Amino acid sequence: MSAHVPSRNAQALIGAGALALAALLAYGASGISTEAGYAGVGPSFLPWVISAALGGCGAWLLYEALSGGFREMDAPSGAARGDWRALAWVAGGIVVNALLIERAGFVVACALCYTLAVHGLRSAEGRPWGGPRKVLLDAVTGMLIATPVYWLFTKVLQVNLPGLTGTGWI
Amino acid sequence: MELWSQLLGGLAAAATPINLLWAFVGCAVGTAIGVLPGLGPAVTVAMLLPITAKVEPTASMIFFCGIYYGAMYGGSTTSILLNTPGETGTMVTALEGFKMAKNGRAGAALATSAIGSFVAGTIATVLVTLFSPVMAEFAVKLGPPEYFCLMLLAFTTVSAVLGKSTLRGLTSLFVGIALGLVGIDQITGQVRYTGGVLEFMDGIEVVLVAVGLFAVAECLYNALYEGRAESSLNRMGKVHMTRGEWRRSWPAWLRGSVIGFPFGTIPAGGSEIPTFLSYAAERKLSKHPEEFGTTGAIEGVAGPEAANNSAVTATLVPLLTLGIPTSVTAAILLSAFQNYGLNPGPQLFESNAALVWTLIASLYIGNVMLLVLNLPMVGLWVKLLKIPKAPLYAGILIFATVGVYGMRQSAFDLYLMLGLGLVGVLMRRFDFPTAPVIVGLILGPLAEAQMRNALSIGQGSWMVFLERPMSATLLVIVAAVLLVPRMIAWRRRA
Repeated sequence: MSAHVPSRNAQALIGAGALALAALLAYGASGISTEAGYAGVGPSFLPWVISAALGGCGAWLLYEALSGGFREMDAPSGAARGDWRALAWVAGGIVVNALLIERAGFVVACALCYTLAVHGLRSAEGRPWGGPRKVLLDAVTGMLIATPVYWLFTKVLQVNLPGLTGTGWI
Repeated sequence: MELWSQLLGGLAAAATPINLLWAFVGCAVGTAIGVLPGLGPAVTVAMLLPITAKVEPTASMIFFCGIYYGAMYGGSTTSILLNTPGETGTMVTALEGFKMAKNGRAGAALATSAIGSFVAGTIATVLVTLFSPVMAEFAVKLGPPEYFCLMLLAFTTVSAVLGKSTLRGLTSLFVGIALGLVGIDQITGQVRYTGGVLEFMDGIEVVLVAVGLFAVAECLYNALYEGRAESSLNRMGKVHMTRGEWRRSWPAWLRGSVIGFPFGTIPAGGSEIPTFLSYAAERKLSKHPEEFGTTGAIEGVAGPEAANNSAVTATLVPLLTLGIPTSVTAAILLSAFQNYGLNPGPQLFESNAALVWTLIASLYIGNVMLLVLNLPMVGLWVKLLKIPKAPLYAGILIFATVGVYGMRQSAFDLYLMLGLGLVGVLMRRFDFPTAPVIVGLILGPLAEAQMRNALSIGQGSWMVFLERPMSATLLVIVAAVLLVPRMIAWRRRA
């Protein structure tokens, strides 16, 4: 099982990341006024506390990583090596969604996001690309999921979601 | 008698067709997402938070609570048939339930878990009805120092007790509190950590963090690491228990309900501990200890399932009377209340008595609905398990978009969601718990306000936390929670 636990170098990076975040918090805290009022502690108090606490945790994580690895760690589920290409497809889908949602509307952006993500997830399963017909089928499926969702949330539940046209139906 | 008339009033309000419909849809959605892998009740409620802009509070709280309970019922179905518990609370059910299913007794396991959930849910709802008003009366007497210490206790238990490593739990907690710091300070109006980005002025929405860390991270993690993971679905038999199985189940249900309830009411971090305790108790008391871990013992499903539901229902007591969430879903329910400008706490029982009692009454109704949804109709839900993973997870992204974009109509939030999703993947890979992040994010700002109010009362003196007996006691408990397990470990090693 221990074969799957991320390497100690990676663990050290996580510890360093926590330290960096703590430093960022401290940098931000130094710019907050300390005007305290009756309480004796102002709006900058908690930021400093959290920065110090997170710094302590980061240092300790780093120490654990460098002295034998994180303690009492469960091996994560799944493969030992990541399928980065599949991840890129899914992440790309979300980015496309964010880029298009205000231009092409919720339904189109989500259907595209669905198509890209489903392609990535399927390639992670080791299944073949399936050709343009499959892609078209996925896009239609995405539309068929996104459209009723759009109607349900905009018409029934009155949540604001952008449309492609001003009609409110698509 | 006053209690009785209030409850009757609540029942009348909860039984209007529109509220019954909300309860039913909530229970059905909850069961579905409980059965489906990838989504839990917390993230589902989070995704649906945008509806709080238009739907009236009573209806949406009934809806959200239905989802919360429904997910517990549905989660056990998946644990028994698929051996992949969706919720930590149903982990123990998977131990015995999956073994029973492997030996062709899936029907009995499903029946005992559904009926047990109903029995425990109903007992716990009666206890909520009886205890909440008493608790609220007591809570009126608490001041900011006590509230701050209670929140400190909630922080400690959520991050230090749950999960294996206190260090990683605390790291998650501090990250969550740090996220909660972004935006305008409630007391002075000072802007903190916005980096000049306009979107950060209102703070970081809970929806965004919950959806990013749970739903999007789950989807990304699947693409990255779990593409080739195989799972096998157990065959389901007839949902039916023999007379002997009934006789073995009911004492376990009652014991489970009793064990579960107290753990839900204190900030001790959800239903993991009571389900394990109940499992251990059943194993000790069983007349058939040889079945545990081999062919699957029905008590080992009945007890923990009851304990789980009882604990989940009991989380409403601290949530409604103190405004302190003891589970992730409760934390998100708290932010739903906040969206309406309602502050759960003792005053809620005065100012919004009708809402509180309608909500409690709807739990009785919801439990009956869930029993019907989960016993005769369980075959329907099992079909959901046949949906292939790729379209399922890709579809989740569409719902994630609804929740995150619908909250405040900003495409910027979708990029943030992706970023948090990547953080979630790292957290899962490196075994950091995610629950403390959510609890820290929601409870952090409240705790800060209580702390500063308390210090104002003490005119800047920290002694205010030690001079008041209640808050001093709570501080001792916090220290004990952090130190006692460590000391036991030390002594064992020495």
